[in-house]
Amino acid sequence: MPTLNLPLTEEPSLLPGFDETVLESARSGEHALLQAKRTAAYERYSVIPNPEAFHEEYRRMNPDLFRFPSFTRLDIPNESVEVASSDADEHYDVVIAVSPTGYRIQDRTGVLSQEGVNVLTLDAAAREFPNLLEQSIGTAMVADEQRKFLDLNGAFWNVGFFIYVRKKVELPNGILIRYYNDQAGTTLLPKLVVVAEQESRFAIAEEFSSPDGVETLCVSGREFHLDAAADVKLISLQGWGNKGIHIGEDWARVKRDGKVDLFSMTFGGCVSKMTVGCDVCEPNANAYLGGVFFADEHQHFDQKTLQYHSAPDTYSNMMYKGAVKDHGYSVYQGIIRALKHCVGVDSYQTNNNLVLDATARADSLPGLIIDADELACSHGATFGNLDQEQLYYLRSRGVPEGEARRMLVMGFFDEVIDRIPFKPLQDHLHSVIARKFGSL
Amino acid sequence: MAHLEIKNLHARTGDIEILKGVNLEISQGEVHALMGPNGSGKSTLSSVIMGHPDYEVTEGDILLDGESLLEMDPEERAIAGLFLCFQYPVAIPGVSISNFLKKAVDARHPEGKAPSGPFLKEMRENMAYLDMDPKFANRGLNEGFSGGEKKRMEILQMMMFKPTMAIMDETDSGLDIDALQVVSKGVNKLRGPDLGLLVITHYERILTYIQPDHLHILMEGRVVMSGGPELVKQLEENGYDWVREQASLPA
Repeated sequence: MPTLNLPLTEEPSLLPGFDETVLESARSGEHALLQAKRTAAYERYSVIPNPEAFHEEYRRMNPDLFRFPSFTRLDIPNESVEVASSDADEHYDVVIAVSPTGYRIQDRTGVLSQEGVNVLTLDAAAREFPNLLEQSIGTAMVADEQRKFLDLNGAFWNVGFFIYVRKKVELPNGILIRYYNDQAGTTLLPKLVVVAEQESRFAIAEEFSSPDGVETLCVSGREFHLDAAADVKLISLQGWGNKGIHIGEDWARVKRDGKVDLFSMTFGGCVSKMTVGCDVCEPNANAYLGGVFFADEHQHFDQKTLQYHSAPDTYSNMMYKGAVKDHGYSVYQGIIRALKHCVGVDSYQTNNNLVLDATARADSLPGLIIDADELACSHGATFGNLDQEQLYYLRSRGVPEGEARRMLVMGFFDEVIDRIPFKPLQDHLHSVIARKFGSL
Repeated sequence: MAHLEIKNLHARTGDIEILKGVNLEISQGEVHALMGPNGSGKSTLSSVIMGHPDYEVTEGDILLDGESLLEMDPEERAIAGLFLCFQYPVAIPGVSISNFLKKAVDARHPEGKAPSGPFLKEMRENMAYLDMDPKFANRGLNEGFSGGEKKRMEILQMMMFKPTMAIMDETDSGLDIDALQVVSKGVNKLRGPDLGLLVITHYERILTYIQPDHLHILMEGRVVMSGGPELVKQLEENGYDWVREQASLPA
């Protein structure tokens, strides 16, 4: 037997600030169903090894970034409070706003008073839809994966919502969820569970923000269950202030003829680690994973995707586009997985990186694990600065150099941004990118 | 009256000198053709005039209306009235044609922003004239375009930007006869007292559609012969060998 020269693993330990005492306080007064779910997540979480540098997934990150000695769990009261409005609110049917003092669910267009749409806290959902919740929490994730931070969120979540849309119901303007945290040294652990019945159709936008200079941690967990021919889009915009740390896990399970679009937009914070996975588990299920990220000023963004094909004739397309400059560092790792009997799979994985100066770095590790024949899977990654011939072409048409560069950067990202169903969010993304891009 | 004057132009890329003393003058209202065998420096000349960063001018000058272009950026040359119809236009996915054209038209507008209504009307009319599908306006610039579509796109830009001096760099290469006719139709519409035109080509065919007033032959980085349209026929019948002999260049 050859021996692998790996360092010895320490016993899996618990992150400081997330132990049984804190778990008990999270469970206290809660519906038994949620208590049981927390305990189950905690049991998994406590045996999964901590991130170490020799784990492939963390090889390009400093695992010390994931020890969080100084963060405590934010105790968000489970009560509705007044939360300041945002200009963005008016574009949506329902707005959920979360702050350290509580949450507010606002039904702007009256959709919640009609049959077919429920947006409620997990606590309320446990009382109203116990069976559905029992089936949906902790079950969207792909089998045989171990996700420590998803289980951390599952055990310790401190604000949770359930979105349930019935058969054939469509939401014209969608749902916005805004998270805000201005409490230094605290951890927000938002949980979102989405159940889309047959042929339902809606989109959810999420925004995260905090003031610059305030150290915050967020461990987000989202699960999506799409029944036959449901069409659900999630657009998540991570815009934490410059001292934010973000860890996110998104998992979707898509049934026959369903279509999920998971957009992950990463701009803020100092460290971000996003994982997005989808299981297209019945024929003709389809997933699109779109990513836009821009790391500068020593930001470290890490993103991982899993396109999991567990049924024949399933489709997925992943496109992550990122830019790095000014000591920014980004890592993309992705896998397309097709199980043994899954013929007729059609799957793409593309990661394009703009490396805008020599101080910045982008790593890309696309990969395929294919156990089936007769399918089409492809992956590719590109790196480079702005294309000099494209720049020259625009300039030769009279477009000033700065404007030409801006157009090329926007054009680069628009391949993903154009697919976002919310125009105000597109405009917002453009302005964030323009600000980051500056005068390069 | 716009006037382009190329004086003893020497240019190189890397260590290779490609232009070795080009002299050429074009006035507004005139159509000049520039022909020459492969590798004679035709495309380099157009790149140098437009200000491609890969080329370095080592001697001589390029003057537009008496002012040297050499210190000007490509965008300044374009605003000064110069236009280059690229032989191989690049594709720019994500930058739509209408957005691109608007930005370029804005750059020429005295207030920095052209009114949208008239701009869109003009764009649609010009596209119709060039038999282009109006839906193209929303597509990425040259993204997935055929050779013919790319060249129409070049002509569309020329119609929108209204240059005083245009260079067409082997616009005919890779075009079938139908596309060539459409492209020539566009060029001939622009032809007139307001436009000076330099048609660079490898083949005589395009010159039957866009008839030049003058023809120049470029060989080994220099204009070795200039004449009237009758030169076209001579080249067609006899090739370049006799020119080479007359210019006392080695075969």
